Amino acid sequence: MEYIIEVEGFKKHFRTVMTQRKVEAVKDVSFKVKPGEIFGFLGPNGAGKTTTMKAMMGLIRPTSGTIRILGGSPGQYAVMSRVGFLPEQPYFYDYLKPQELLHTFGRIFSIPRSVREKRIDELLRVVGLEDARNKTLRKFSKGMLQRIGIAQALINDPELIVLDEPLSGLDPIGRKEVIDLLASLKSQGKTVFFSSHILSDIERLCDRVVIIDKGLVKAEGTLEQLLGSGSGEKEILVGGLKDVASVELLAGVKSVEVVGSLVHRLVVENAQADEVLMSLLKAGLHIVSVSDQRISLESLFISQSGGGPAMEATI
Amino acid sequence: MSGSFGGSFNRIGAIARNTFTEASRNRAFIGLGIAAIALVVSSMAISGLAVSDQRARVLVDFGLFAVSLLLVVISITMGVILVFKEVDRKTFYVVLTKPIRRAEVLAGKLLGLLSVLVVTLFLMGLAWVLVLVIRDVALPADLFKALILAWLQAALVTSLALLFSTFASPILSGVFTFGVFIVGTMIPVLQDLLTLTKGPLVASPAMRVLAEGTIKVVPDMTVFNVSKELILGIPVTWHYVSGAFFYCLGWSALFFALAVLIFSRRDFN
Repeated sequence: MEYIIEVEGFKKHFRTVMTQRKVEAVKDVSFKVKPGEIFGFLGPNGAGKTTTMKAMMGLIRPTSGTIRILGGSPGQYAVMSRVGFLPEQPYFYDYLKPQELLHTFGRIFSIPRSVREKRIDELLRVVGLEDARNKTLRKFSKGMLQRIGIAQALINDPELIVLDEPLSGLDPIGRKEVIDLLASLKSQGKTVFFSSHILSDIERLCDRVVIIDKGLVKAEGTLEQLLGSGSGEKEILVGGLKDVASVELLAGVKSVEVVGSLVHRLVVENAQADEVLMSLLKAGLHIVSVSDQRISLESLFISQSGGGPAMEATI
Repeated sequence: MSGSFGGSFNRIGAIARNTFTEASRNRAFIGLGIAAIALVVSSMAISGLAVSDQRARVLVDFGLFAVSLLLVVISITMGVILVFKEVDRKTFYVVLTKPIRRAEVLAGKLLGLLSVLVVTLFLMGLAWVLVLVIRDVALPADLFKALILAWLQAALVTSLALLFSTFASPILSGVFTFGVFIVGTMIPVLQDLLTLTKGPLVASPAMRVLAEGTIKVVPDMTVFNVSKELILGIPVTWHYVSGAFFYCLGWSALFFALAVLIFSRRDFN
C-alpha cells in the first residue's frame, strides 16, 4: 500500500441549528500519508483539523471528496480494527476503572481475555497509570484522561494511530513520555497522524506536516521542504570574540550579536561562510557551532495562517 | 463489518456490560432505586388508610402500581440520556471509531439498560413480596407474571426513550416518551369512544381520524396491566404473557429500527 491515508478534495459544510446558515467547516483539503510516517496536522483553532479527523474516523460524512484509510473507507470494520483513535479532550465513562474501560474496548476488538489482560497491564505501565488502577475515571485529572485515552487508542496494537491533540493537558514529563511513546511507535513501523498546537513537538517528531487554515491546505511536505534547507545564511556561534567591529567588516557577515557572556552569534551569507570561518580560526577564536539559518515552524505557521490568532506557540 | 454472529454478540455484550456497570455505580440510579423500594414499602402505610377488609386489596393494587410506575420512570429517566449523554460528553467518539456497527452500539445500550431494569424489578418485587408477607396477605397466584408484564412495559418504554434520545434533548425525549406512555394507557378509552354513536369523536370527523390514527401508532400500555386480574383472582395465563411479550417485542423492534435508522445517518459534529 503506497499511502495509509488519502484525503482528496474533502469538503464539509454544516448548517447552524437555529438559522440554518451554511458554514463551510472545511473547504478543500487534500493530503496523503505514507506508511511508517509521523505526520503532523497543523492549523489554528477553527481551521478544520478536528472536522477532517472526524471524517477520517467515520464520525461525519464528507459533503464532497473522498477519504481512504488503509485502503478502505472510514468506518469499515476491516479498517477500524487496524486503527487507534484519540479524540480531542477525551471523556470516558465516569464510573469505570481504567482496566474496565480497556477491557470493554478489548472485547469490541474480540481480543482474547488472556491477551487482553497482558496488553492492559502493559499499556497502563506505558502511559503511567499503574497506580491509578483502582480509581474510577471520574476522579482522573485531565492529564490522566489523556493518558488513558492514549492507552485505549493502542489496545488493538493498531497500524495507524490518529491522535487529536495528544499532548494537550499533559505536564512536561507527561509530554516527554508521550513523545517518546510516539517515537517508539514509529520505530515499530506504525504510522502516526496527529494534530498539535505544540509546534516544538511537531518539529521534533514529524516526518511530514500539512498546515491548514480556514478549511484550506496552506502547505504540505517534509519539514526540510517547508522550512527549507536554509535561508541562504549560516549561523555561527563563536567564543572569545572581543573585536566585534573587525568581524562586522568581514565580507558576508550580516550581523553580530551577543548571546551569552562569552558567546557571539554571527549570521553569515552561505557564499562567504567558509572565508569567514577561516578568518575566525586564524584570529584564534573558538567556533562553538555552525548551522543553517532556518525559519522556524512557528514563523512558517504564522505566515501561512495569515498571522492567525489562535496558535499557542509553545516553542 | 465482521459478519460473524459471535463477533457481533461480543461487541453488543461489551457495550451492554459497560452500560450496566456504569448505571449500577451511578449514584443517581442508586438513589432512584432506593426511592423506588421505599415507595413499594410505603404501600404499608397507604393500606392503613383503607377499611380493614380492603387492606389486602390496596397492598396488592398499590404495590403493583408502584412497581410498574417506577420501572417506567426509571426507563424514561435513564433511557432519554442513553444516547444523548454519550453524544454530549463525546464518549461516543471513542466507541464509534472502534470496529462496531452503530446498530450494535444501540443494541448494547438497550440491553444494558434492560438488564438494569431486571435488577430493579427483582429488588422492587422482593420488597413488594416482603410487604405482603409482613402484612400477612396471601401472595397473588400470578404475582410473578404481573412482574414480568411490568418489566415488558418498561422495556417497551425504554426502546421508545432510546428512539427519542437519538435525535432530541433529554427533556424533549422525556416529554415525548411520557406523553406516548400516557396516551398508551388511554388506548382502550379511545377504542370505546370510537364505538359510541354520539360524543366528540362522532361530532368531529377530524377528532375521529386523530383518535383512529393514535390507536394505530401508539402501543396499548394497558396490555401489561393485570392489577384487576390479580385483585379479582382472575388467572393470567402464560399464553397471555407470551402474547404480551410478542406485542412488546414487535413495538420495541419497530422503535429500535427507527432509532438505528436515525443514529446510523447521524453526523457527530
